[in-house]
Amino acid sequence: MLAAGINDKYSDSRQKLLKIAEILNQYNPTNIMPKAGWKFSPTITATFSDIETVKEILKVLKKEDLGVSIVVSGLISEIEKVLKELGLNLHTIHYSLGVFGKKELLPPDKILEITTMCGHHCVSRNSVEYYIKLIKQGKITIEKAAKKLARPCVCGIFNTDRAIEILTRLTN
Amino acid sequence: MYINREICTGCGQCVIVCPVQAIRLVDNKAVINEDKCVECAICYRNAECPVKAIRSTRLKWPRVIRSPFSNVIATHKITGIPGRGTEEMKTNDVTNRFNIGEIGFSIELGRPGVGTYLKNIELFTTQLTKIGVAFEPESPVTALLIDDEGHIKKEIKNEKVLSVIIEFKIPKNKVSEVLGVIKDIDKKIDTVFSVGIVSRIIENEKLPIIDLLKQEGFNIRPNAKINIGLGRP
Repeated sequence: MLAAGINDKYSDSRQKLLKIAEILNQYNPTNIMPKAGWKFSPTITATFSDIETVKEILKVLKKEDLGVSIVVSGLISEIEKVLKELGLNLHTIHYSLGVFGKKELLPPDKILEITTMCGHHCVSRNSVEYYIKLIKQGKITIEKAAKKLARPCVCGIFNTDRAIEILTRLTN
Repeated sequence: MYINREICTGCGQCVIVCPVQAIRLVDNKAVINEDKCVECAICYRNAECPVKAIRSTRLKWPRVIRSPFSNVIATHKITGIPGRGTEEMKTNDVTNRFNIGEIGFSIELGRPGVGTYLKNIELFTTQLTKIGVAFEPESPVTALLIDDEGHIKKEIKNEKVLSVIIEFKIPKNKVSEVLGVIKDIDKKIDTVFSVGIVSRIIENEKLPIIDLLKQEGFNIRPNAKINIGLGRP
């Protein structure tokens, strides 16, 4: 991510971000921000389904040394281990303490597991229930349903591989 | 948002994609509940309406404030700040927004996927101002505060949005006071909220403030966002 008013004042900042996007794209991401967003977004987001791939990417990003902030999201224990192996540091951490308040308003956990993959809450509970029903009726494949569910997530952070795994569990 | 009932075929695709269940079918036509609708425009972008019955309308004040807090591709024209929140810790290696000894909080009202009325902001901000937290100056929520006591404009209180993020930082020795506010509001609020905590990490030291959180009855989730320090000004 480019820091507003700091990184983005340099003329080559967009090129650096595009370089990162190309690197991420080379490693077969499960999902990635659509290319249209690469031209203006201060952030490039991508999701991967295995930590080994993430390790390879971080190795390349460390070598490239572009000076752009990189944030890794995932299991703390896995990220810590990989960073240590690569000689990288944890600079700042953003913990989650979970959800509070009127939790009875939330859908069942099995639905939340899918809807919360989009941090902007663009994936509705109704759509998850709808596609589960269609899958059970044999009207859509699980893979296609996962892609349909990912569509409202414009950042490309919705993990379609994980959605496939959850939908498989829920429809078997 | 507006749905033209004259041409709506009642296919229900907009009902399915709406994240706050604000659309339902009445007499086989889609109808938007204006109070529930957060103006996220997800129906407009993703319902694939076969007859293009969903229209984006020009919103008036104060309803217009719903859009930037709900529509992921809208910008904050009112506050002048794009997006629902700020860069938070994502660029902390460049900005030093959070220094060693400071703890950041992001309290996202309405998350996940329930939505919130803006009046709920005051539940937190009126208590947090008494503790003396430093609200994030670039946050769209901070821009809504009209006084030093944490109040917001009366006319926007009943506007519903998908989520709002209250961002602030405090010295580490005041974390317990903020956690007390969270415990208090947990029981009173009419929606859900998610809490995130930000901290710098000192090299070769164990992960910070976990013990303090445990003492106060809070547990961190096994997953987190980690800035790996490759950015520079």
